[in-house]
Amino acid sequence: MELAATVLENIVLAGDSAHISDKLFGQLVTCACQGIVFEENRNVVGDNPAFKDVDKAILKAVYGGLVSLIVEAAKHDSNEQNISTILEECKFTSDRINEFNKIFLSQKPHLQLLLGKISSSFPHIVDVDWRLDYYIKNNNLEKIDSAVYLVNLKTEIPDEKELQDVQFSCTLEQLQDLVGKLKDATKCMEKIAQV
Amino acid sequence: MLLIFEDSQKDHLSFLADLDAEVLKEFGKISLNFIRKGANTKIFQGAAQKLGVPVDTVQHGVEALMYLLTESSKYLLNEIDFQDSIMTLGFGDETRSSLLALYLEHRREIRDILNEMSLDLPHYHNLEWRFDVQLASRSLRHQVSPSILMKLQTMDGDKKEMKMLQTDPVNLVHITRVLEEALQEMKSGYCRRITRNIK
Repeated sequence: MELAATVLENIVLAGDSAHISDKLFGQLVTCACQGIVFEENRNVVGDNPAFKDVDKAILKAVYGGLVSLIVEAAKHDSNEQNISTILEECKFTSDRINEFNKIFLSQKPHLQLLLGKISSSFPHIVDVDWRLDYYIKNNNLEKIDSAVYLVNLKTEIPDEKELQDVQFSCTLEQLQDLVGKLKDATKCMEKIAQV
Repeated sequence: MLLIFEDSQKDHLSFLADLDAEVLKEFGKISLNFIRKGANTKIFQGAAQKLGVPVDTVQHGVEALMYLLTESSKYLLNEIDFQDSIMTLGFGDETRSSLLALYLEHRREIRDILNEMSLDLPHYHNLEWRFDVQLASRSLRHQVSPSILMKLQTMDGDKKEMKMLQTDPVNLVHITRVLEEALQEMKSGYCRRITRNIK
């Protein structure tokens, strides 16, 4: 994990008890985590009366530094040791390092879940509907008499609220082919899972 | 069931009764070609000159024969019904049996052509899949998320369409199971009873 020099400077400020008291430090780290996890908490520091005695410019810098550290640490799945090394370099006391780790590590799974959601992907199939028709005749042809399945794949697309449909029809043979291939894929997956 | 002809069609068809076996065969060939590729009216002129009859007569004869072939194929007439349908048109035995042979030989093909003209939905053509495990992304390293990528090919008429889709193991198992149930449904007593009765 590498952090920019300005970010490191801001983190140093966060560790400095002349700017942020021990009591406020824990709250600030918690706020930074909440600010990342919940969108409605993005601005929770500015309006919080607990921080009213801290210089606004410093508060902003410190908050920014902590948020950057938290996001990067979650992104690289950093453990206690990695984080301690960085914070020691930023002249943190061991009490503050422990407090940061305690708060951060409890939030890490949530943070990583959110970070994992940020990615591009193809439409993701989440469900399937089907309907079975018996095709009897049409205006050109009589005695067709064959089964027709209408298959509707429900897919999720990133950043879209509604599920999107992928629809197609298939004959009995075509559906057998499709199911055969899906079964192959399932088997392959199960085999790999056992390794 | 029997085919019902209008009087004008009967007249037109009866022209075929007087033709030689060879010429009738030629008419059959022309009719089939027209069904396959659409009508080509230039042919009538030459045929009419050869036979020494008006162009209209030839054209009506071919059209009536096309009608006979497509209608019988549409209803999938069996041999007896086909013969009974043309019984009253005054054909000789030889003409009747050569028309029957023509019909039986090309019935499948004509039904395929009619089927192509029918209303059709985009239908499944092929599915290819591959199994991936996502290891990292810009925003998160050290991941292990398995995913199944799928390329679904569907045909809409002659147009091939491709769609990339993906899913996760749990959903793959789910959709496989649901679609398998769909297949089983066709074998259920209810569906079998219905399909047996619609004949």
